[in-house]
Amino acid sequence: MEGSEELRETLVAMRREIDLLRVEATHANLLLNALDSVLCVDGDADPFAGVFSALLPVFEYSHAIVLIENDHAQGTLECAAASRDSLVGSIWKAGRTFSKVLAGRIITTLSSADSEEWPDGIDVGLSQSQPALYLPLRVRNRRGLLMLLRDCDSSGFDRTHVALARKFSLLASHAFAATRANQTEAESHRLKQLTEQLKASQAELTFRANHDQLTGLPNRSHIQELVDAILMRKQPGQQLALAFIDLDNFKQVNDFYGHAAGDALLKRVADRVRAEIRKTDLIGRISGDEFVFILDPFREQAEVSALIARIRDRLQQPFEIDGARIRVSASIGVAFFPTHGSDYETLRRNADTAMYQAKTTSKGSIGFFNQTLGKEAAEKISLEHSLRTALRNRDFRYALQAKVDIRDQRIVGFEALARWVDAQGRVHPPGKFLALASELGLLDGITNIVLDALIDDLPRLDACFGTDVSYSINISAAQAAKIAFMEQFVQRIAGTGRAGSFTLELTEEAFVAAGPFQSRIFPLLREVGVGVSIDDFGTGYSSLSILADITADELKVDRSLITSIHQRPRSQSILRAIESLSAALSMYVVAEGIETVEERDFLLNATSITCGQGYLFHKPQFVDELIRSQTPTMPMPASGERFSSAHPSSRSPQSSALSF
Amino acid sequence: MVSLKSFVTSGKSTSDALAELAAAVDDSGITPDLVCVFYDCDHEDQPIFDFIRQRFPNAAFLGGTSCSGVMNEVGLGGMGSIGLLLIEDPDGDYGSAAVRLDADVADCAERALHAALEDADCAGELPELIWIYQTPGQEEAVIEGLRRVVGDRCPIIGGSSADNTVAGKWRQIGPDGPMNDGLVVGVVFSSGGIGFAFQGGYEPSGHNGVVTRVGYDVGDESGVITKARGRQIITIDGEPAATVYNRWIGGVLSEKLAEGGNILTDTTMYPLGIDAGKIEDVTHYVLIHPDQILEDGALSTFASIEEGTQLYCMRGDKTRLVERAGKVAAAAAAALPGGITNLAGGLIVYCAGCMLAVGDQMPKVSKAVSASFNDMPFVGCFTFGEQGFVLDRNAHGNLMISAIAFGR
Repeated sequence: MEGSEELRETLVAMRREIDLLRVEATHANLLLNALDSVLCVDGDADPFAGVFSALLPVFEYSHAIVLIENDHAQGTLECAAASRDSLVGSIWKAGRTFSKVLAGRIITTLSSADSEEWPDGIDVGLSQSQPALYLPLRVRNRRGLLMLLRDCDSSGFDRTHVALARKFSLLASHAFAATRANQTEAESHRLKQLTEQLKASQAELTFRANHDQLTGLPNRSHIQELVDAILMRKQPGQQLALAFIDLDNFKQVNDFYGHAAGDALLKRVADRVRAEIRKTDLIGRISGDEFVFILDPFREQAEVSALIARIRDRLQQPFEIDGARIRVSASIGVAFFPTHGSDYETLRRNADTAMYQAKTTSKGSIGFFNQTLGKEAAEKISLEHSLRTALRNRDFRYALQAKVDIRDQRIVGFEALARWVDAQGRVHPPGKFLALASELGLLDGITNIVLDALIDDLPRLDACFGTDVSYSINISAAQAAKIAFMEQFVQRIAGTGRAGSFTLELTEEAFVAAGPFQSRIFPLLREVGVGVSIDDFGTGYSSLSILADITADELKVDRSLITSIHQRPRSQSILRAIESLSAALSMYVVAEGIETVEERDFLLNATSITCGQGYLFHKPQFVDELIRSQTPTMPMPASGERFSSAHPSSRSPQSSALSF
Repeated sequence: MVSLKSFVTSGKSTSDALAELAAAVDDSGITPDLVCVFYDCDHEDQPIFDFIRQRFPNAAFLGGTSCSGVMNEVGLGGMGSIGLLLIEDPDGDYGSAAVRLDADVADCAERALHAALEDADCAGELPELIWIYQTPGQEEAVIEGLRRVVGDRCPIIGGSSADNTVAGKWRQIGPDGPMNDGLVVGVVFSSGGIGFAFQGGYEPSGHNGVVTRVGYDVGDESGVITKARGRQIITIDGEPAATVYNRWIGGVLSEKLAEGGNILTDTTMYPLGIDAGKIEDVTHYVLIHPDQILEDGALSTFASIEEGTQLYCMRGDKTRLVERAGKVAAAAAAALPGGITNLAGGLIVYCAGCMLAVGDQMPKVSKAVSASFNDMPFVGCFTFGEQGFVLDRNAHGNLMISAIAFGR
């Protein structure tokens, strides 16, 4: 879901909601403090000192001034309280701004604004240009206002402060009314109710801001606060374990049973984990199907292992949800404080790394972080950086490996294979970068670079091998499902006017997944005339029934079936079955990974396969080297036999996809 | 108590359309404090200005031309339409001011904002919202000028006026009359509160690169260039920008690479994006729409870019652009104090490029907004640039959708 519009939208909504809840909770808390300050004042003592100090941390003001309408002089206000005592008793004119505030408006000013109401002769280090926030008040049955000022060089108050001021203004006015010596029972009762409501609402808001609404568990930010607080209290020698749980195949549960069932499952998972952990332990949900739990305290790590194994086993028991029996598993990674990190974020990241390693090895397993994993993670980050730079610098090239007619070793096609050539000129094989490039979403860029280069090189290749030789490029199953990428890719091939010279090699997985490839891309390939090859057949789903549904041009039998084929009767039987079915479906068969003369001879003598690929015939070469090797003075690298370029009249043996 | 009314009339001469609007407005029983007017560029400006001034002499007033007309809760007005949004708020304050944009655009914007605040009788006060409508081309400088006054303490939302064929026939209209090179600023101090949202409907396609050279904008009248920023991307990753971009989008522009020319329609589904910030490690983008291929393979855009910026190739589709309008409107309404139940109506700024791409499905856009606004009154204009508040920052983008919701 990463990067999708839905994810972005959900995150914005979540952030908005959490921000709102946190602001509301903060507001409520502040108002309670301020009200307490007002209500705890004895007799006629100044209630404002407490209010000023309660408001200071939130509004970050430098000066506070309370002005009350002056009964003795119409159109003026008198300073009733101020953080600067010398201002008390000063007289202010009720100009345009003050009149609006007295009428109930909250106003904040721009930092450059001058106040027309400012009295003459005030000299207490205040300036008319200070950003100000004005709140209406009613004090002892008279109208008034609270003015908060910030220093001239600080940023002004914003709309959040206005919202907070609106709430405070109302409550403070009630509080001031209640502190009057002659306060009525009704006012007192109303204020008490208001305070109780506020307390309840504050507790609820705090809970909502800190907890996941679905499971009721602490959310990402709250669990971090809780863990950091625990870590702060740790004494030397004390430990803590942080475990990261990720449900396996949760997306499939959502896809198959629906999101309501997915949500119910998450609740049940939370319940089960909660039931297993101890009172002193903590659990939180940090995103969709990811949970962390904290084991604290424990005496030895075996204790942690046993508890986590119990949780893992418990989660493997089926869940009954809406009449359906749903089985899931969870992969769990664990990191220990202080060995693997001294703060929450490091511990979580390392536990995540251990979980990922565990999941990669076997879903539903448990992994413990260690320094080797840490080193691997650091290397992965470094490789990720290098790969991104390489893509930006277009440091990818391609090598060509020939497909030959095994009867006479004539070239019938080439498979383009991506190579990363770093700044030092080192050539990195696909195994070094392909998986990470795919994970990082860089594969499309690399594939495009290879296609660009191949298209640029076509004239030279044509001159050397003729125009009937075909060129294959590998496309991953994930790429095959991306409509926009594939449409652009195919359009670029079509733009060469030589679409018939290209073949896309796709693994069976691309064909198995029903969806956009089958419905949109496959017809497009057919329309423009690009060939389609099923790559690595025999390693993936290997369902012969797939073949009945696809009209591919070529089927490449994986090297695992070809290796030592002359000594393996079972592989020979399978190969014959594939060969027979392919013939019936008019698909050309290519044998991959031929490395020995014995393998070639078996194929020649015992099968009707005529096209092969492998080190026996040719090792991949960059184009310059390949073309040079075709000159009379240059020997061929692999078999020692020079190719002769075939110009087959049919398009049958077209080669591979960027076989990375 | 805030109340809104919208009126759209279409397909008539300016005088006929205004006569129809007059009859509708007279029956509405509303005395607006703010009037927004948007209209097809084929209409005459002066009669529209006279109409507004005579009918609503005391109201703040702003608007301008909108690509191929307007929309409201009833539907799409279509070519030749005029739309009016009247906002009545006796307990609020509203003001507007206009300025022609001369060499120091930021200064002009700053002056216009102060004048609008004066007009609202709120000089020196931080407004709840600044609403702008302007000539396309200098939006970043306009925002810079406004931010000098308010920073990012209040949202700046608006659009860049548009014509129907990118022929430069866009105009703006404000309290001093119509202009073709100006900026109109409105300030809002609503008594019912506001909500807003600013989003695009596109996703990164995977291609990206770094802007290595731009055609500079001259910073001010001194002619001194202070930073490498401009609306012409000359190279990406050291290669001619149009070549790289064409490769990213699958050769759609191949035929235009040599000759250059307008690529606005070709690129609507494949804009460029720049990183606007992250939430939970997921990147959010502000969009930039390439509109022309220039000499030497440079790309002209509707927004400024700095050298060194990482550019992302984005992609969209019609369905998403239709649905997005409704989602943006819903997000704005949800952000109101009291939520959507407090909604009195709204205002939508929808990119004209998106509108042209959506084509005959545009009626679905007005329906989607209307549904999200619970059929409350709104007017939508179609613009050549959109301004809004994203990730705590005021920004200018292309192919975006801005929505304002007014609370009761």
